[in-house]
Amino acid sequence: FCFLHGLDAEADLVGSLASMSTSERIKAIQKMPETMRKKREIRNKVLKEITKKSRHRGAQPSCCTQCLQGAAVSFRRFGNTLSEYFHQLRVWHKALKTIGAEFGTSVLSYFVFLKWLLNFNIFSFLINFSFITIPQFLAAEPNNLSFTGLELLTGAGYFQKTVLYYGFYTNATISKTENGPSYNMQLAYIFTVGIYFVICFLILLFSMAKFFSRNFINPQAFSVNASKLLCTWDFNITNEKAVKLKQKNLHTQIKEGLTEVNKEVLNFSVMERALRIAVHLLVWFASLGTAVAACTGVYFLSINNLELFMKGYRNDLESQTAMLVLPVIVSLLNTLIPFFFSWLGHLERFQTPGQHIYITITRNIILKMSIIGILCYYWINIVATSESQCWETLVGQDIYRLVLVDFIFCLLGSFFGEFLRRIIGTTVCMRLGLPEFDIGRNVLDLIYAQTLTWIGILFSPLLPGIQMIAFFVVFFVKKVSLMRNCQPPCKVWRTAQMMTSFIFLLFCPSFLGVLSVIGVTVWRLKPSEECGPFRGLSSMYAAVAEWIQILESYTGSKWVVWIYHNLITSELFFFILSSFVLIVIYLYWQIIQGRKTMTKLLRKQINN
Amino acid sequence: MGNKQTIFTQEQLDAYQDCTFFTRKEILRLFHRYRDLAPQLVPLDYSDKPAVTLPYQLIGSMPELKDNPFRQRIAEVFSEHGDGNMTLDDFLDMFSVLSEMAPRDLKAYYAFKIYDFNNDDYICKSDLEKTVNKLTRNELTPEEVSLACEKVIYEADADNDGKLSLADFQQMILRAPDFL
Repeated sequence: FCFLHGLDAEADLVGSLASMSTSERIKAIQKMPETMRKKREIRNKVLKEITKKSRHRGAQPSCCTQCLQGAAVSFRRFGNTLSEYFHQLRVWHKALKTIGAEFGTSVLSYFVFLKWLLNFNIFSFLINFSFITIPQFLAAEPNNLSFTGLELLTGAGYFQKTVLYYGFYTNATISKTENGPSYNMQLAYIFTVGIYFVICFLILLFSMAKFFSRNFINPQAFSVNASKLLCTWDFNITNEKAVKLKQKNLHTQIKEGLTEVNKEVLNFSVMERALRIAVHLLVWFASLGTAVAACTGVYFLSINNLELFMKGYRNDLESQTAMLVLPVIVSLLNTLIPFFFSWLGHLERFQTPGQHIYITITRNIILKMSIIGILCYYWINIVATSESQCWETLVGQDIYRLVLVDFIFCLLGSFFGEFLRRIIGTTVCMRLGLPEFDIGRNVLDLIYAQTLTWIGILFSPLLPGIQMIAFFVVFFVKKVSLMRNCQPPCKVWRTAQMMTSFIFLLFCPSFLGVLSVIGVTVWRLKPSEECGPFRGLSSMYAAVAEWIQILESYTGSKWVVWIYHNLITSELFFFILSSFVLIVIYLYWQIIQGRKTMTKLLRKQINN
Repeated sequence: MGNKQTIFTQEQLDAYQDCTFFTRKEILRLFHRYRDLAPQLVPLDYSDKPAVTLPYQLIGSMPELKDNPFRQRIAEVFSEHGDGNMTLDDFLDMFSVLSEMAPRDLKAYYAFKIYDFNNDDYICKSDLEKTVNKLTRNELTPEEVSLACEKVIYEADADNDGKLSLADFQQMILRAPDFL
């Protein structure tokens, strides 16, 4: 900070400000912890200093410099007006502010995450739509199936021969005119999907790093009580009821903190410790067992599902609704088993409430990811090798139905979980009171939906658009339900780290799993013979290999071929790259260790 | 909304934009909020820099502040003479620091001043006790309050002088990113 002691310091400050660039100077003035009057004085002095300097410097005619300065000022004003208009485009800014004001920042983080995912899906949709779907419209085959309303739910029928699914896309090279510019659909499809996933990877990595560095807590130096007192007051809250609730919670927390001082000396006997460990193990065994049972059920159900397809495609109501059984059962399992897990969690006793929350979330993640995993196994091993006409479209339809039914269950969950619960809590059973907004469960639902969308992009390029609309509706429904039915949360846990943990959960089991599934699909599986852009090839990746072979015959693109053979397909390059990355990580880690020791030494010096 | 407004001169608006984190439209909107508190006291023409001060009672009744337990301290910290009565400059300053665009260091500096009830540039035990009482609506017993404050000073005081200086406070904020 710039504390102004004496005129000398002020003259120094003015001098240093005058030598900065305009934007840096404005930022520095804005950040100064002085009153407005003082800041204005300093600003005027700095501007005078600048004009003095330029007058000393320039032998230029004064009207020219004045013109330039006038132009710079009006340009800055124009830039400011432009950024004002961009600020207006910030969607839902007011809604997010209201939610933060009434419910605090932890609930707000769920909605911020939802908005972030929505932007992500808008970006995915735009990429896929522009590079894959729009060219396909130019080479579309006629669709002679009839449209009944049921297709919106099942995704089959009329939709099978539309751009919704992989099977409709052509493998030809599209060109409007003879010898005109041509568009190779095979290459476009595989490169669009590939580059899209690389961009996603980079976005997730940089977002994680940004949130992590902003919100890193050094666990050794974290002062629990001091920060509880001085840093947890959420100045965003403006609702009177929420303020009173927060005060009551802080009162309870401080009381608990004080009584813990008395309970600190609590040695558990060996028997009690063994009992607690046994209970933990039992509960883990039960949860994992339930997850395995759920997966087995889903697996056998999906094999049944496939037999239904293979028996012949009948376009009547019974077989259409039979296709919905699998998604409904999967969503039911995803909704009901977490309640079972949280009931099991109450049987155990944890040292801190934070542990309880993290372990519950871990179990739910294991459940959801294993269900998705078993479905992927089914798709890759059973559907892809079955004798259906177009297995990619079948997978696409399955994913479409899963996404849609999950969306419907999300809305139903909001209805039952919050609306009915509020009615029960206020009329029938007054002891329960208003429900709290369950952040963990809702965030895991979002991550599950996004994982499905990512897997489905290869098989159904318009799926991000559908998910986009779904998230849009979910935002409004959840917001209305929150405002009408819920009360602010009692226990607030590490709000600043929430966004980091959400994105980390999105990255680690979810995105990496999707990458492996897509990788296996593109490299190992044989595309169907009669449909899709890769028909007849031995694998989807073979399209790239063939393209490189064609390029070899052109002299102008030898460098592309060289890069392909020596960098992308050569194992030595990836080995060198991995070793390099590992060495860099190790060096950074050593630097961090060194800095930690430095901080410890300095702290000792201050204390003595 | 064009460029035609007659409340401020262009230089005044430029100065406000340079000194706060607000855009032109936000500054005008805040001016109208300020004026709505007392339309008979605040003129519509600020180009001759009138010296208008609104009393604390009006500021403290704004919906953003009226439920905040620290509203009096906030108004005192940002007012010119430390009595809670604010001119337009002070008003804009306050909202600029409280907005989401202000960096954390700046907010930490002002939060320190807010929690420093006796304005001696240190948060001593009596300041902390007043803070705890405001945070819990005076529902803890004095012994509990005293015990809690001792724990805080023990944890956060790095130079062991029995009170928190600005540097101690900033260190704690750095380590606790829940600070909002």
